[in-house]
Amino acid sequence: MIVWTLLEWLAWGASGLILAWMVADALRVSHDYDEDVLLSSREGEMIMDEPHDAA
Amino acid sequence: MAQAQAVTETKAQPIGLLRVLGPGHVWALGVGIVLVGEYMGWNFSVGKGGALGSLIACWVIGLLYTCVAMIDSEVTSTVAAAGGQYAQAKHIIGPLMAFNVGLYLVMAYTMLEAADALIVGDLVVALAAGTGVEGVDPKPFVILAISLLALLNYRGVLMTLSVNFVITAIAFLAIVVFFLSVEPWNPGAVLHHADLLAGLPYGWLGVVAAFQFGIWYYLGIEGTCQAAEEVRSPARSLPYGTMSGIITLLIAASLTWYVAAGLLPWEYLGQAITPLYDAAQASGSTGLQVFLFIGTLFAASASANGCINDAARAWFSMGRDRYMPIWFGAVHPRYRTPFRSILFLIPIAVSFAFTGLLDQVVTFSILSGLLGYTFMPINMHLFRKRWPLGSIERGYVHPFHPLPAIVLLVLCTATFFATYLGYGVQLLAMMSFYIVASLWFAFHRYKYVRRGDQFTMPWPRPRGY
Amino acid sequence: MARNVYRPPEQGRAGQVFDSVFLLLLVYLVLFMPLIFGLTGQATTTRVVENPTWEALGQNEVAAGQWEKLGFTPESASELITTRFDYVINPLSLLLTAVVILGYFLFVIRMSDKEYRDVIAERFDGDGRDGGGRR
Repeated sequence: MIVWTLLEWLAWGASGLILAWMVADALRVSHDYDEDVLLSSREGEMIMDEPHDAA
Repeated sequence: MAQAQAVTETKAQPIGLLRVLGPGHVWALGVGIVLVGEYMGWNFSVGKGGALGSLIACWVIGLLYTCVAMIDSEVTSTVAAAGGQYAQAKHIIGPLMAFNVGLYLVMAYTMLEAADALIVGDLVVALAAGTGVEGVDPKPFVILAISLLALLNYRGVLMTLSVNFVITAIAFLAIVVFFLSVEPWNPGAVLHHADLLAGLPYGWLGVVAAFQFGIWYYLGIEGTCQAAEEVRSPARSLPYGTMSGIITLLIAASLTWYVAAGLLPWEYLGQAITPLYDAAQASGSTGLQVFLFIGTLFAASASANGCINDAARAWFSMGRDRYMPIWFGAVHPRYRTPFRSILFLIPIAVSFAFTGLLDQVVTFSILSGLLGYTFMPINMHLFRKRWPLGSIERGYVHPFHPLPAIVLLVLCTATFFATYLGYGVQLLAMMSFYIVASLWFAFHRYKYVRRGDQFTMPWPRPRGY
Repeated sequence: MARNVYRPPEQGRAGQVFDSVFLLLLVYLVLFMPLIFGLTGQATTTRVVENPTWEALGQNEVAAGQWEKLGFTPESASELITTRFDYVINPLSLLLTAVVILGYFLFVIRMSDKEYRDVIAERFDGDGRDGGGRR
C-alpha cells in the first residue's frame, strides 16, 4: 500500500519536474533568440533543396 | 526555382525541421500510432454490433482505408510538406478547408494521445490491483506518461521515432506471439468461438453501427505524411511506408479479433478498456498476461509518442501560416522541433485523459479522423480537375480514379450514420466545435494570413482560376 | 501587374494570447464540459435481472467459465450484460444531424473557394511565377 502511495507521489513529482524543465527551456529559448530566427522555417523549403540540407 | 526561394532570406541561416527519416521510420510513425488500436478501442465495435458485426466492420472499414491510402499516396507524393493533408487542402481546396483539416489532425491525434495515456493509467491500476492494492489513482501515471513522451518529442524527432520503431515492433510481436500461443489450430482448447460467437445481437443495423469503432482498427495510418518535411525522399518513402503500414494493420486486426472473440464473451469484450490484456487473463496463462501487459504499455506509448509528433507538427504548420498565432510557428534552435506547439497541446491531452471516459475520448478522435476522410474524395476530385494528369509531376498515380473516391465518400456517410446510432449527441458536439472554429477563422483569424504566400508548390496555375 | 498584394496586419502579443486562449476555451466548453457532465454518453437501456444466474443472463457454460476467469460473478456481471444500445432512429434528429454535417461542408467549401481565388490571383498575377512578397 505504502509503496503505491509513494509511487503516486513520485509520478506527480517527476511529471512536475519534466514539465517545469520544458517550460523553462521554452522561455529561455524565447528570451535568448530573436523571434525572427525562431520563426524562419518555411513550408516546403527543404523538400526542394535536399542535397545541401545537412544542418 | 527552389533555390531561389530558399535564399530569399540569407541574412540569418533559417532554421527548419531536420530531414533525417527513412522508410522504416515512416512505417514506425504510421503503425506506431495505430497499433494501439488493436490493444484497445476497437472492441467497442463489438459492443455496438456483436463480435461478428465487429469483424464485418473491420473488413468494410479496411476497404475505406485502402481508398484513403490510395488517394493519400497520390496527393502526398506530390504535395510533400509538414502538416500532410493540411498542406494538401491549402493548395487544392482553399484556406478555410485547410484550417479545418489542420484542426481535424490536431484533434484526432490529441484525443488519441489522451486515450493512450488513459490506457497507461488504467494498466498501472490493474497492476496495483494484481498486487492486491485497490484504489490507486491513475492520474499521476497518466500525466507522467504524457510528460515523458512530450519531453522525447521536445528534444528531437530522430530519437523519438527510433524509440518508436523498437517499441512498435515489440508490440506487434506480442500480438503474433499471443495468436500462436492460444493454439488457433486446435479450436475448443483455448479458443471457444463456437460457444462465444453470439450471432448479430442487434441485427444488421448493429453491423452498420459498429463501423464507428471499426475506424479504430486503423485510425492514424494517414499520419505518415505528417513527417513529409523530415523524410529523406518523400515521394518514394511515403507511399511505401503507408502501404506496408496498412498491410501490417490488416494482419494485426484480424489476429486480434480472432483471439479476443475466442476468449471473451462479447458483452464483456464490448466494454473492456484493455481487451487484449483481459483476453490474456482469460487464457489462464500468467506468462501471456505479463507479455500482453508489456505489449499494451508499449503500444500505448508508441502511439502517444507519434500523436504528440503529428499533432504538434500540424499545429506548427498552421502557426507558420498564421492560421494560428504565429508564435506557434517557432522551431527550437537546438532540437529543431516545434517546441511551443508541443507544450500547448499537453494540457488538452491531460484533461481528456483524466476523464477516464475511453469510449467518448476515442469517439472524438474517430470523428475528427472521419471528417478528414470525408475531405479526401473532395480533395482528390479537385486535384485531378485543377491539375489533370501530366500537368504536374506526380510521385505516384493511383488507379481507377473516380471509384476509390466514390467508395470512400459512401463509406464515410455510413460511418457518420453509425456514430449517430448511440453517440448522436457527441457527434453534434463535435460538429458545433468545428462550426464555431470555422466561423472564427473565416471572420476573424483569416485577416492575419498572407494570401499568395499560402501557395508554396512550384505548380502551374490551377485550371479554371 | 503587381496589384493588390494583401498586407495583413501584424498581430500583437496580446492578440496572440487572446486567440490561443479562445481556442482552448472552445475545446473546453464545447467538447470537455458535455463530456464530464455526462451529456454525450452512449444511448443505452439496462434491463434489471433479479437474482441473476449465468443462465438467466443468457450465458452458456463456456461463456460463464470465461467470465469467472475474469473475476466476475453473475451479480457483478449482470449490468454489463444487460446494458444494450438503444438504436431508435428519430427521423427529426437524424435529419438535423445530416443537415448540420452537409451544411458545414458546403459552407467550408464555398468559403474556401472564395478565399482560394484571392490566393491564386495574388500568387500568379503578381510578379511572375514565384509570386514574390515572401519574407
